[in-house]
Amino acid sequence: MMIPVRCFTCGNVIGEHWDEFKRRAREGDEDPGKVLDELGVERHCCRRMMVSHKDLVDVVAPYQ
Amino acid sequence: MTNDFEVEFIEPGERSARFLVRGVSPAVANGIRRAMVADVPTFSIDTVRFVENSSVMFDEMIGLRLGLVPLSTPIGDFEEGDVVTLALDVEGPATAYSGDLESADAMVQPADENIPIIELKDGQHLEFEADAVLDSGKSHAKHQGGVSVGYRHLQRVEVAGDAGEFEEQEPNILRGVIEEAAAEHADADADATDGDLVATDAFDNDLTNRYPGKEVEVHDVPDAFVFHVETDGSFSVEELVLRAAETLGDRAAELESKVAI
Repeated sequence: MMIPVRCFTCGNVIGEHWDEFKRRAREGDEDPGKVLDELGVERHCCRRMMVSHKDLVDVVAPYQ
Repeated sequence: MTNDFEVEFIEPGERSARFLVRGVSPAVANGIRRAMVADVPTFSIDTVRFVENSSVMFDEMIGLRLGLVPLSTPIGDFEEGDVVTLALDVEGPATAYSGDLESADAMVQPADENIPIIELKDGQHLEFEADAVLDSGKSHAKHQGGVSVGYRHLQRVEVAGDAGEFEEQEPNILRGVIEEAAAEHADADADATDGDLVATDAFDNDLTNRYPGKEVEVHDVPDAFVFHVETDGSFSVEELVLRAAETLGDRAAELESKVAI
C-alpha cells in the first residue's frame, strides 16, 4: 500500500528515498538503476523494494 | 589475553564503513559482530495511543511502520527501559512523514525525515501519541542499531608464476579487501606498494584485471578481519562499534564476578 519503511531482507531504511525515486524514475524519465545508485541504494534486496513497489492508497481510498 | 587490537579504517563513513582489525581471534570477531546486532540498545516506538485515525490503514499497520522508523539515540544519557514520548498530528490532504513526529526530548529525533508513514486524503486525520523505548536487538529486531554487519578475512594475494602464454585467462573473482604482496606485478596501479590495503571494487573484483597474465594464490591473513558495518542512523558506525565492545566487556566482567565466589 505505502512503501515499506525498511528492506524486508537486510533492514536498511529505504522509505526515506521513495519520494525522490518516484519523482525521478516513475514520474520522470530517468533510468531507475542510475537513480538508485545516486540515492545510495546499493544492494539488490533494497533495490527490488523500490523497483517493484506499487502505491495503492488511491485505489483503496474510495472504499473507506 | 592482553594483546591490543590494531584498527585501521579502510572506508570511513557516518552510516556505512569498512575497517580492518588485526590481532583478533575469530571468536572475538564474531562476538563483536553479534554485540553490534543484538546488544547495543536503540530507541524505537513501542506503544501508540491513537486519538484519531481515519486513514486507509488500520492502527496496527501504522504502529508497525512507526516502530521501524529509526530514532537517534544519544550515548550515555539513557538507560535501557527509558521512555520518550513522541506525537504526530497531520490532517489531509497531505502525507504524514517521519519528520512530522514531534519528540518530547530534543536528543531523540527521527534519524530520517522523509519516510512516508501514510498518505492522507481530503478530510482524513491522523493524530496519536507514541512511546519510544530504549531496548536491545535481542528483544525485537526494530531495536537493532547495526544493519547488515559482517566481516571477512583479510586476504593476501601472491603471484605464484606466469599464466600460460597462449591460454585464454578466465576471470578470477575475489571479494573483500586484499593486502598487496606483489606490488611489482600490479599493472593497473602504478604506485602500489607491498602492504597496501586494496578493496576489490578497485579492480572490479577480478584479480586478472590487477595481475594480468599471472598465476596468483590467495591466502587468508590469520587473525585479521575486515568488518563492514552499516547503521540504521540511530548513531554513527564508530559509536556502534565502541558501544558493542563496551557491552562485550560488561558481560565478561559480569561473568568474572559471578564465577569468583
